[in-house]
Amino acid sequence: MSPENEKYIEVSAPDFSRKCAEYSRRHFLRMMFAADERELDGHFRVYAVFSPAGCDRFDILTMKLKEDNLSYESITPLVPAAHWYEREMRDMFGIIPSGHPDARPLIMHGMYGDVYPLRRDVTAAGIKNAVDLSREDGYSFMNVKGEGVYEIPVGPVHAGIIEPGHFRFSAVGETIYHLDPRLFFTHKGTEKLFESVGFEKGAQLAERISGVSSFSHSSAYCMAVERTAGIEISPRAKAVRTLIIELERLYNHIGDIGNMCAGTGFAVGYAKGAILKEELMALNERLTGSRYLRGINVTGGVTRDVFEDADEIISVLDGVKRGFKDFMEFLLDSVSHTERLEGTGLLSREIALRMGATGPAARASGISDDIRRAHPHLSYGSLIFEAHTYLKGDVYSRMMVRRDEVECSFSIIDSLMERRHEGELGTSINEIMAGRSALGYTEGPRGSIFYWIKAAGDGKPLRVKVRSASFCNWPLLSYAIHGNIVPDFPLVNKSFNLSYSGCDL
Amino acid sequence: MFRHIFLNFFCKKPAIGMDAIRAVTGGATGEWAGGPARLDAAFRRSIRIRQVDAGSCNACEWECTALGNPIYDVSRFGIDFVASPRHADVILVTGPVSLGMAGALKKTYLAVPEPKIVIACGDCAKDGGVYRDAYGVLDGAASVVPVDGYIPGCPPSPAAIMKCIMDILESAAK
Repeated sequence: MSPENEKYIEVSAPDFSRKCAEYSRRHFLRMMFAADERELDGHFRVYAVFSPAGCDRFDILTMKLKEDNLSYESITPLVPAAHWYEREMRDMFGIIPSGHPDARPLIMHGMYGDVYPLRRDVTAAGIKNAVDLSREDGYSFMNVKGEGVYEIPVGPVHAGIIEPGHFRFSAVGETIYHLDPRLFFTHKGTEKLFESVGFEKGAQLAERISGVSSFSHSSAYCMAVERTAGIEISPRAKAVRTLIIELERLYNHIGDIGNMCAGTGFAVGYAKGAILKEELMALNERLTGSRYLRGINVTGGVTRDVFEDADEIISVLDGVKRGFKDFMEFLLDSVSHTERLEGTGLLSREIALRMGATGPAARASGISDDIRRAHPHLSYGSLIFEAHTYLKGDVYSRMMVRRDEVECSFSIIDSLMERRHEGELGTSINEIMAGRSALGYTEGPRGSIFYWIKAAGDGKPLRVKVRSASFCNWPLLSYAIHGNIVPDFPLVNKSFNLSYSGCDL
Repeated sequence: MFRHIFLNFFCKKPAIGMDAIRAVTGGATGEWAGGPARLDAAFRRSIRIRQVDAGSCNACEWECTALGNPIYDVSRFGIDFVASPRHADVILVTGPVSLGMAGALKKTYLAVPEPKIVIACGDCAKDGGVYRDAYGVLDGAASVVPVDGYIPGCPPSPAAIMKCIMDILESAAK
C-alpha cells in the first residue's frame, strides 16, 4: 500500500532503459535510486521516480535485479539526467549500468577500497575496518589537451569560509574551457546512518544534512515517515511547517542575493544583504530557539505553534520587506554590479532540462517547475502563487528569480497569518509495517528535496534515500562556467548556491 | 548612490547584535580589543584564523561567515579569517572529520606556523555529534589534530563563537 499519488510500475530489467526514455519525454525525472530488498523478497531493486508535468502524480518505474546479475542497460545515454544517479548506485550497491559513459567512481574515494556501503549485509564497523587512509584516490580527471591549455587545481580546502571540494579547471588564458569537479569529500555515510537511528531520531539527522536547508530537509523527511505510516498531520501543524519553510527561503534568498555581491567585490551590497539576513536569523532564533530552525519538526507534527508569535513575525517582516525593497533598488541601480551579472554563467534551457536542473537554477533557465505547485503539499494547495521563471539563464536571472520568490514568500506568510489553523500540534505514529514505503518532498530554497523511505521488519527503515537539490544542480555548474573567465567562477558558483554536505551525504 | 551609502551606513544603526554580544560577554564589547595580556605577547593583539570544514553540514561555516557581517564585525577585535594556513595563528575545525577530509585537515594543520592553537567548533567537531556512528567519520577533530578547546553548539551562534575563541585563547596563553 502506498500513498494515493504514487503509482509503482513494475518493469522487466531488459525493458527498463527503453521505458525510462519513454517516460522522460513528458515527465520530469525526480530521482533514481536502488534499495537492497533481499530480506523482503530476495532481490535488489532500482527505482526511477518520474512526475508528469502539470499533474500531481508520481510514476515510479521499478525493476528487480538478482544478486548474481546486478547489471542492466544504462539509461544515461537516453536520459542524461540519470548520469549521477547511476554512478551513485554503482558505488553504493555495486549495481552496474552497462554502457554508462563515465566509468569513474562518484562518491567513494580511494580510501574506502572495494565496499558497497548501502548493502544491508555490510555494517558500518565493517566499512571502517576496510578503510586505509593512505590509499590514493586515483580519480582520473578529464584531460583537455592543446596549445596554451593549462590546469588550475583548487581545493579541497578553499580560500574562504566554505565547504570542501576539489575543482580542476582547464583554462586557455583567462577563459575556462572545462571544469571537472571532484566532490564527496564530506561524504559521511548519512543514508546508512538513517537505517540505524530509527524513524523518530532520523528527523534530527535530516536537519543536519545541509545547514541552511535544515527545515526543508526535516519537513520532507517527516512527510515521508508520516506517509509511510499512513497518517496525516493536522492543518495547524501543516501551516506551521509551511510558514517556517517560507522563513527559511527568505533568509536563504536574501542572503544569496547579498553573497552574489561578494562575487563581484561589491562590499556595500554584501554588507546590506548580510544585515537583512541577520535580522531574519535573529527572528528564527526568537521563534524556534534555533537560528537554523532546528528542533521544530518531529515525525507526526511540530513541537511549537509559531503562530502564537504572529505579532513578532509581522513586525520583523515589515522591516525586512522595506529593507529588501531598498536593497534591490540599490543593487539594480549599481551598474558596476549588474553589468557583471548579465550574460555571465549562462545555462541554456535545453541543458537545464536534459540534465535535470531544479529550483531557482531551473526557473532562471525558463523551466516552470516548483514542487509547491506541481505536487501541492502542506498548506500549499490552498495558496495561490506562481512559479517565477526567467528565460535567459544567466547569473542576473538567477538573482531575479530569487527576488520574485522573496516577494512571493512574504505574501504566502501574510495569507497564512490571516487564517485560523485548527488541530493538534502532534499526531502519534504507530508501528510501521515492514515493506511499506512512501515519498516525502518539498521545495527548499535551492530546489526540490525528495526522500523515499521503506520500512524494514525491525521497526527501523530498510532504506532512506535522500535526494537534495544540490545533487541535481552540481553537474550543471560545468556547463554554466564553460567559456567564462576564471575570476567569474566564484560569482557563478554563488548564483547556484550549491551545498556540498547536502550533495555528499 | 553616495547618498544611499551615507544614509544607510552612517545614519542607520544595526537593529540587533550588540545586545546579543553583550549578553554573552557580560559587558561592553570594547574590552575585547585589548585581549588577554599573555596572549598579546604571543599574537600581538591580532588573531588570524584558518577555518577548515572537515565534513560539517555548513551551519557552522555560515555562523563563522556571519562574524564578518556589519553586526558582529569581528575584525574590530583584531580577529580575521584568512585564506592561507601560512598566515594563520588559529585553526578552527568544524564537522565530524569525514574520511575524505582527514588528510586535508592534517596537511592544513601542518602548514600553520608555530605557535598555533586548534579549536574544534560545534558538536560534530567535538565528538562526531549526530554523525557519531556513521561509517564515513572519525568522531571529532581530536582524532586527527591536537585540540586546545571546544566550542559547543549545533551550530554555536556567532556571539558564542566569539566568546569561546577569546576564552580558549586566554586559557591557552596560561
